[in-house]
Amino acid sequence: MSGFSLLTALILTPVVAALVVMLIPDHRRELVRPLGVVLSLLPIPLAVGLFLAFERGEPGFQFVEQWVLIGRLGVEWHLGVDGISLLLVLLTTVLVPIALAASGGINHRIGLFVAMNLLLEAGLIGVFLSLDLFLFFVFFEAILVPMAFIIGIWGSENRVYAAVKFFLYTALGSALMLAGIIALALIHRDQMGFISFSYFGMLDLDLGVTAQRWLFGAFLVAFAIKVPVFPLHTWLPDAHVEAPTAGSVLLAGVLLKLGTYGLLRFNLPLFPEATLDFVPLLATLAVIGVIYGAVVAIVQHDLKKLVAYSSVSHLGFIVLGTFALTSQSLEGSVIQMVNHGLTTGALFLLVGMIYERRHTKKIADFGGLASSMPVFAGVFLFIAFASIGLPGLNGFVGEFLILIGSYPTLPVYTVLAATGVILAAIYLLWAYERVFTGEITDPANRQVKDLSISETLIFVPLVALIIVLGVYPKVALDVIGPSTDAVLERVEATTDFSAPQPGNTVATASEDRR
Amino acid sequence: MRGVSYLAVAPEIVLSVGAVIVLLVGVFARRSVRLLGWMVGLIYILAALAIVLQWRRVDAEGAGFSFEGTIFLDYSSVGVRAILLVVAVLGTATAWEMLVGLGSRFAEGVTLILIATTGFMLMGASADLVMIFVALEIGSIALYVLAGIVRSSLAGDEAALKYFLLGSFASAIFIYGGALVYTATGSTNLFVIASGLSGVHVVRPALLLIGMGLLVVGLGFKVTAAPFHSWAPDVYQGAPSGVVGFMAAAAKIGGFAALINILTGGFERYAAAWGNGLALMAAVSMVVGTLLAIGQSDVRRMLAYSGVAHAGFIITGMVGGTVTNSGVMFYLATYAVMLVGAFAAVTTVSGPAASGSSFEEYRGLGRSSPMVAAVLATLMIAMSGLPVTTGFIGKFQVFTSAWDGGYGWLVITGLVASVAAFFFYLRLVVLMYFGKDEDSGPRSKPTRAVRSVLVFSAGSSILFGVFPGPLLAVLERTIG
Repeated sequence: MSGFSLLTALILTPVVAALVVMLIPDHRRELVRPLGVVLSLLPIPLAVGLFLAFERGEPGFQFVEQWVLIGRLGVEWHLGVDGISLLLVLLTTVLVPIALAASGGINHRIGLFVAMNLLLEAGLIGVFLSLDLFLFFVFFEAILVPMAFIIGIWGSENRVYAAVKFFLYTALGSALMLAGIIALALIHRDQMGFISFSYFGMLDLDLGVTAQRWLFGAFLVAFAIKVPVFPLHTWLPDAHVEAPTAGSVLLAGVLLKLGTYGLLRFNLPLFPEATLDFVPLLATLAVIGVIYGAVVAIVQHDLKKLVAYSSVSHLGFIVLGTFALTSQSLEGSVIQMVNHGLTTGALFLLVGMIYERRHTKKIADFGGLASSMPVFAGVFLFIAFASIGLPGLNGFVGEFLILIGSYPTLPVYTVLAATGVILAAIYLLWAYERVFTGEITDPANRQVKDLSISETLIFVPLVALIIVLGVYPKVALDVIGPSTDAVLERVEATTDFSAPQPGNTVATASEDRR
Repeated sequence: MRGVSYLAVAPEIVLSVGAVIVLLVGVFARRSVRLLGWMVGLIYILAALAIVLQWRRVDAEGAGFSFEGTIFLDYSSVGVRAILLVVAVLGTATAWEMLVGLGSRFAEGVTLILIATTGFMLMGASADLVMIFVALEIGSIALYVLAGIVRSSLAGDEAALKYFLLGSFASAIFIYGGALVYTATGSTNLFVIASGLSGVHVVRPALLLIGMGLLVVGLGFKVTAAPFHSWAPDVYQGAPSGVVGFMAAAAKIGGFAALINILTGGFERYAAAWGNGLALMAAVSMVVGTLLAIGQSDVRRMLAYSGVAHAGFIITGMVGGTVTNSGVMFYLATYAVMLVGAFAAVTTVSGPAASGSSFEEYRGLGRSSPMVAAVLATLMIAMSGLPVTTGFIGKFQVFTSAWDGGYGWLVITGLVASVAAFFFYLRLVVLMYFGKDEDSGPRSKPTRAVRSVLVFSAGSSILFGVFPGPLLAVLERTIG
């Protein structure tokens, strides 16, 4: 370990940036947003450096930092990164500047807005890097405040309701997780002789099946609300529709991943036996989520709501892959978390931009936009294809791995979930057809300005990443694979479960893919 | 150390002598607010020095008794004094504007604050039920008068009278409990009781248990634990806003200090008996306080009911058998500071001598008075127990202690109550920040003293929320 604490720097840089932005005096407020965007770029080189220096093929945590934070309580500042968290950290650092850059429409209390986004970034990175459950909880819960502020202050008409609903829903979930964390720490003290919240310490505990089930449940509630798993998703459409564009981007792009990340990071390795017990329940809910989210998305009249429900559907895939417990399905889940962050983030940006121009999100108010804003239509179609899972783009890689990986253990569920791919094509392409093709019926749509150059530039990194991950997913899978395999091995080692070895055809297919 | 050690009561001596001098000077120099201000500052500095000396004495010689065993000097009693001194300084700064508004009766108000502080400090250092009662009355009576100090305010009169009547009733219950305990054990001294109980088996403990219960009820009133809380909302709402924070915080600190001393010092052997009783009281307080706070339309009533819930959280930290838990002290100290800070904000919004503070007054505060709003939002977040604040660290500790003691159901109750509590804490934040750009009109700016209180309370809530280590290390020693 070098003297430079890269992971700590990743968390603290946005915090410092937020403080700097808050200190800008009111009469220079025009500086706030540009400076905020520039400052929010600072974590990117750190994250890229992390990605480059990350040792491939190594399943464990790297760049580990560990200091005693509150000795009396056994709390440590304990950070580390592995293949599961690395890409999510990278995704976070990329999405925040994009979200800020796309928030040109926000003039009201801009300093607070930028600061809240930066604090949110710090919290999100902190969640992904924490190896101490106390620390993890602190970040997990602290995120609520900036997010609730972002929705509540800069959202649309119904924002207060949405912000409060978001806050209470997620706070209720994490309250139960806190009880679980306290219980784990005390079990650690009873078994090891000292109180500790260390993730590694928790892995060494000897938990009975009953204890595992209760603890699994406590963690599950917190994460399932965050994902959100059907039927706990009702806060999501409200939050998304009311949130400003930057809020939606970060909410869909990163915040929802906290749930799926938590399931993979904590529920599976810490409570493996309970995991096996919960597979039928979660697989069922996941498939319901996939189909329900897609069907509801089809019938939406509001473009933003459509994208919001598509998230419910996509995250259903990720949950399915997580609980299918095969090498490919877990890999697919992680890469799909990244993919969904990129594509849905981009979709929310697009919806936000069109809303800024037309002040409506109703699909019926549009039509024929392709002729007045061709660049915009092109970008939209491209992102829609990525989201649907067109081969060659990133969505395909994730969904393919999840479906092919889930089939051996959960064949029926997988077949049902596969319909979600078709439904996704229906809701996105039908929406495209209604918004962009045909004759312009409403004269207001004739004068709509196309994407400006700076707006187009915002999409460049997203489009590039979508293509890279679609054409050459190896760059991500090499990082993810060893770590997800380690999770699987952990489940296999502690229970009598054994993941099916891929059969010949499946193996060939996946080898080809790699 | 059975003799008389004046050091054991040095801060009380400083404060009470100081109170007398302030009163006398006030009579002769009616208009010299400035002079009195310097004097009060000096008194607090001397009291702080006395506390430091006490701490060093305990460091050097260990804990000890004096005044025939009625007063003890150990880390915990010194710690309680330190917390109370901080609260008194913050409270005086908050009340200053209101006190100045009293005109010629300015010195009276200052004196009452000093006397109340003396009383509650003594309460935390008393090892004898009679002494605790005397200290309780010294502190409480000063507070009754403070509640009604603005003579022109009808609501203040009502608050004072209500506080006085119900408070006296509670004191009577407390002293009756003390009498029953004396009948059962033959002593009023906690440590004599404890050593007496440890040697013998009480054949018929009913008298003792009833006495113990009555003591708890009497103190439960002071700390606004449900179901003995009904006075709090009216008093918090009616009393002049400048003093409410101090009133609420000081009484809670004194009450909890005495409760801890009685239960652990005197009746540790009966922990099984009072553990369940307290757990019930904690659960009722958390649930009742939270539910009733949700429906309030006045910020001060909301803070009163939230105080009931907080009393429940603090008691939750006591039931785990590990009463002597620095988590309780941490919670108490940090919550007291938040409370004074919140009422300092109320003072700015509603005026220093006002009664009541409706939620509507806070609409758009984030725009018209950003600093007060930011502090109040921070304090609400801290009180609700979200991370990065002392509120979270405090709650975390009391829950851990209760879970450890086998009170899992209480922890779950507390967690659910914490989530429900977001409703009303958040409501204030929503009003201050989430409103449309409506102009809420000009606001009075906080005085410099109030500003310092605001910054201190919000700053310490964050600072010790991120780095609780040093504070915990100090409080660790107070658990004896």
